[in-house]
Amino acid sequence: MRRAPLARKAALVAAELAVAAFVLVPFFWMVSVSLKPPDEPFAIPARLWPQDPTFENYIAAFRPEFRTYFLNSLVVSLTSVAITVGLALVAAYAFSRTKLLIVSGLLALVVLAQMFPHAAIIIPIYKMMRAGDLLNTYASLIIAYVSVTLPVAIWMLRGFLKGLPQSLEEAASIDGAGPFRVFREIVVPLARPGIIATAVYVLIVTWQEFLFALSFTSTRDMRTLPVGMNDFIGQYGIRYGELMASSVLISIPVVAVFYVLQRYFVAGITAGAVKG
Amino acid sequence: MLRDRWMSFAFLAPAVLLLGVFLYYPMIGTVIESFYSTSFINPNPAFVGFKQYETVMGKAEFWQVLANSLVWTVCVVALQNVIGFFVAVLLNQALPAQGLVRAVVLLPWVLPGVVVAILWRFMYDPQLGLINSFLISAGLTTEGIAWLADKTTAMGAVILAAVWKGFPFSALIYLAALQSVDREQIEAATIDGAGALRRLRDVVLPAIRNVILVNVVLTTILTFNYFDIVWVLTRGGPQGATDIFPTKIYELGFGQFRFGEAATYGVASIGVLALVAALYVLAQRAGSRRRRPV
Repeated sequence: MRRAPLARKAALVAAELAVAAFVLVPFFWMVSVSLKPPDEPFAIPARLWPQDPTFENYIAAFRPEFRTYFLNSLVVSLTSVAITVGLALVAAYAFSRTKLLIVSGLLALVVLAQMFPHAAIIIPIYKMMRAGDLLNTYASLIIAYVSVTLPVAIWMLRGFLKGLPQSLEEAASIDGAGPFRVFREIVVPLARPGIIATAVYVLIVTWQEFLFALSFTSTRDMRTLPVGMNDFIGQYGIRYGELMASSVLISIPVVAVFYVLQRYFVAGITAGAVKG
Repeated sequence: MLRDRWMSFAFLAPAVLLLGVFLYYPMIGTVIESFYSTSFINPNPAFVGFKQYETVMGKAEFWQVLANSLVWTVCVVALQNVIGFFVAVLLNQALPAQGLVRAVVLLPWVLPGVVVAILWRFMYDPQLGLINSFLISAGLTTEGIAWLADKTTAMGAVILAAVWKGFPFSALIYLAALQSVDREQIEAATIDGAGALRRLRDVVLPAIRNVILVNVVLTTILTFNYFDIVWVLTRGGPQGATDIFPTKIYELGFGQFRFGEAATYGVASIGVLALVAALYVLAQRAGSRRRRPV
């Protein structure tokens, strides 16, 4: 039996509201506490919105260390995004256009590498970085981030390139363009939506990466935002107002990029996962 | 075009080389490391062979980490996928403000893991947390509960935080899969008198079976290897109640500089993961054999 349309509609809207509340209540609370003046007591029952909203916590949170961490995160993430997407695009092109057993074998190895637990392989990587005197440098983090994001990036871009028509490449090739020119002038422009989707993915992963950053950086001036945030917990104890303000500040860049480029990202990630 | 195979190899070389040096070589390195014993006091590696596995597996600690890892992975994967699936079904209906809700739902997944962990640490805080504040004002408890400091509640609390962050991704994938299901089939089933539940079971689920399987495997791997949320929320505590493989390995390796033991845990965790992956493959084979018409 089908329920009356109105009752059905009401049930659906109620479910929709429940989902929105589950997602939004913690988030809303984070923003609200970040705007509470430090002396406004945490009343019970908790007040969901501050009486006198203020940016005091933000000003306090934007201390010099925070600016250093922010800059470190920005340098490491953006460099990793550029290198990963570049290397992945070149490799994905070869993976999508070559029918050779050995190449299929290599692709299987790339897919397998996605499964490697970072915690399980971190000690040998740490030792390599130590031997190369790279601990506490941007390079150690960039190398690690490029390596761990490459497999998924290759997989996403390969899926995208496979869907592109090859007739243009063939035509250019017949007209005498070499493989590098074909790649640069035909493949790269056509692959733009896939490149954007992959770049957003790598940015989301590297912006929040924690394990490598925690293990490879020990000096304050080299830490990235996630590790710096973790230090704040100990240093400032219970000053949740500042912690929440820093949380909002470190989330803004990645949330903004995500929502601006959302349609590319959703199309890219679901194409890989749904069509395989 | 890449007519020439050497040209293909040239395009592949940089990425393959990097993966070889920084993922595959360390993978082998971990296995080798696990045969050596190192400690903070005695930093020169000494070969001990399989003895380290005996020592590690002889301790109750190891089995607790294994049990915790399995509970953690199974609960997070199951909840994340079930909630994600039903949210996707819901968002696939015609709803008011549908576009807005679809966008908002993704928010927890985009937030950095450390931010999510700090936020939930605050939610669970015995004095200041929203959850206890709500429970006290509803008269359900008189004193705040220390969710993360109590052995019986810590794992559940960490799982809830991880599900909150992870379910949007599953919902996103399932929503895309639902949108790709053939509408005519659903309409035909409706005309034949199938209710919503039967349509879901007999038309929709079989159509997106593979997407579900891939997503479950993917979230299993990611969850099993997850570090940030657990580390920032509890560091594996209280008394090891939430210690899973990644937190244990980090603590042994970088907290105590016992690289060899950490590597032994690492190899064990890879073994467990490989076993789980094999089980999925077997389950999938069995499933597709049953389904194949004779």
